Amino acid sequence: MKRELVYMDAKSSKFWNIELTGNSHTVTYGRIGTDGQSVTKSFPDEEKARKDMEKLVKEKLGKGYVDAAGSGVSPAGSATSAEGLIPLIAFSSINRRDDIGQNAGTFIGKRVADYDPDKPARADVVYRFRSDWENNEVIPHLEHFLATDAAAEASALIIGAWHGDEPELTPEGVIEVLVKSKARLGKLAAIYIGDITSEENEMSWIKQCDLAPVLKAFPRLQLLRSRGGDGLELTSPEHENLRGLALETGGMDVGVIRSVCTSTFPNLEYLELWLGTEQYGANHTIADLQPILSGQLFPKLKYLGLRNCERADDLAAVVVNSPLLNRIDTLDLSLGVLTDDGARALLKVPPSPTLKKLNLHYNFISADLVRQLKTLSLTVDASKPSNMDDDDEWRFVAVGE
Amino acid sequence: MVLAPEEAAEAIRAGRKLGSVRISGRLDLTKFDGERLPARLHCYELDASGSQLTGLPPDVRIDGRLVLDNCPALTSLPEGLTAGSISLRNCPLLEGLPENLCTWFLDLTACQRFSNWPETGTIRNGSLILRNCIGLCSLPTWIGRLAQLDIAGCVRLREIPDGISVSSWVDIGGARISSLPPSLQGAALRWRGVRVNERIAFHPEQLTAKEALEERNAEVRRVMIERMGPLRFVKEAKAKILDEDRDRGGIRQLLGINLQEDEPLVGLSCHCPSSGRQYFLRVPPTMKTCHQAAAWMAGFDDPSLYRPEIET
Repeated sequence: MKRELVYMDAKSSKFWNIELTGNSHTVTYGRIGTDGQSVTKSFPDEEKARKDMEKLVKEKLGKGYVDAAGSGVSPAGSATSAEGLIPLIAFSSINRRDDIGQNAGTFIGKRVADYDPDKPARADVVYRFRSDWENNEVIPHLEHFLATDAAAEASALIIGAWHGDEPELTPEGVIEVLVKSKARLGKLAAIYIGDITSEENEMSWIKQCDLAPVLKAFPRLQLLRSRGGDGLELTSPEHENLRGLALETGGMDVGVIRSVCTSTFPNLEYLELWLGTEQYGANHTIADLQPILSGQLFPKLKYLGLRNCERADDLAAVVVNSPLLNRIDTLDLSLGVLTDDGARALLKVPPSPTLKKLNLHYNFISADLVRQLKTLSLTVDASKPSNMDDDDEWRFVAVGE
Repeated sequence: MVLAPEEAAEAIRAGRKLGSVRISGRLDLTKFDGERLPARLHCYELDASGSQLTGLPPDVRIDGRLVLDNCPALTSLPEGLTAGSISLRNCPLLEGLPENLCTWFLDLTACQRFSNWPETGTIRNGSLILRNCIGLCSLPTWIGRLAQLDIAGCVRLREIPDGISVSSWVDIGGARISSLPPSLQGAALRWRGVRVNERIAFHPEQLTAKEALEERNAEVRRVMIERMGPLRFVKEAKAKILDEDRDRGGIRQLLGINLQEDEPLVGLSCHCPSSGRQYFLRVPPTMKTCHQAAAWMAGFDDPSLYRPEIET
């Protein structure tokens, strides 16, 4: 008996395989693309070895690992399939609350490195371009990279802090450079605009702009990820091939939700929206999400993430009634203010032919309700609960401050 | 033809004809002073809050959200009206909803005359907010599974029909509901936004002053006192007599009781001179005498100016 699992987030892309032979099992694990290392463990009998294997697999699934088969991650370790499709699992970035404090270490399953014009550019690395207070390097470095042969092979790009010593600067200038050089980036499949930690710039201070020109310029784009809600726009979004859209904000403007709801993304499989709090610009209601939840917008959707939501309880109560649950395989309500009220609503999730995973990481659910949620026939990640009791007045979303 | 919402709004406000157009985004017609909108309007979102609209054209199409809050002249909506969410807060003339209405979210807060449901319609998955619909006497049986149901302040509503269910809560604060139908068994209960249990909601006669005083959550305690009736509460809790005098109804007392993490409950206990019934009327905790409390209730900040000739 054998089970092969993979995991990807902003820090790593890993595999974890287990094989049962007689009364022992062998676990092989490591970074995707390497052989990894193996550990064999023996048990008094076959039954005990099998039970231990089942326990370990369940533990891994709870942590966000998925079966390699069907995930799109090829066993050889390459993150893209023969058709150049990025595996769905590689679309996620911030999985744990603690990931927010760090820059991406991997993106679409590939290693990330800050671009250094003095070193030869490589094709197997995703480059990040960023400025700091002293050096406004993002555009000069980007232009340097675009002149190399590696640009033509680049499947992904990351734009980090672009503001340098001008806190009000939006990424408009960077986007102009990208759009102007679109012919040089013939294979660009994924872009992250705003890989910025709170140390560089708080999420609610990041000045964003209209990202629609990126969609227009790169018809082969599969994933658009961005961070920052202030000024964020997606004017008349339309894209034939986009499979993933992830908008991380501390407070999402209703106009952005409206744009998503009026978009044409016939191949969208992955939608991750960070809704945020009122203090940081969230001016929408749960009702504004109705067109998404109605299930009529994105026929291919498999992952729905409505994260970092201040009103996650109200949201959960509506989401459990959504016909989308009969089509998606992952529902992600993590990083928000989800309490026992929302958990009780989620206990009423109807049996679904597709839904496999419920991500409630970072929540305010009591131990008793977490136990009840674990009885659902779904993989439930209810890790990092807050220990607040009824008398504590303050509950925060993961990113708001 | 697709039209930008700003252009469309300008044309409509200027009274120009539009023809058959689709409007992308949010059509902002707030405070629009016309009574009618042009025909063949198709938009993602329509917000005509505070407008003079009396209704909507029968062929209007709204894909997402419809907001007609605070429309003083709104009397009817077109048959088959469909939108993702519909907000009709505080429309004083609105008495009914159209046949075959279809939406996920409906908010009729403070529609005082609203009482007529259509024979059939679809309201499901989202929230149904009927707060302070004081004319409402019944709920229809065709309502599907909701997220939340708010009937707080529906003072004429006596029951919720079996078949209505919620995935989260039902708020019954101040409605005349004495029990939940089987389909709502186990639903979380709220009383004007405060989480309450079945005893507080449906068996206030079982509540004791001791229990209320021991309740640590001030909001829940307030609801418990409201449900018990403040008169029974102050009697059982043995409130302190802060002042006593006589009026035409007999002995009048200013009673006070301290509550943890809340302002003291102070009120005037008096008897109606005509019916003899006893009342307890809450006043600010700064009141020192019965006369001052009575003056405050009559709207006098300076009690020396309050010299009623007759009290009935």
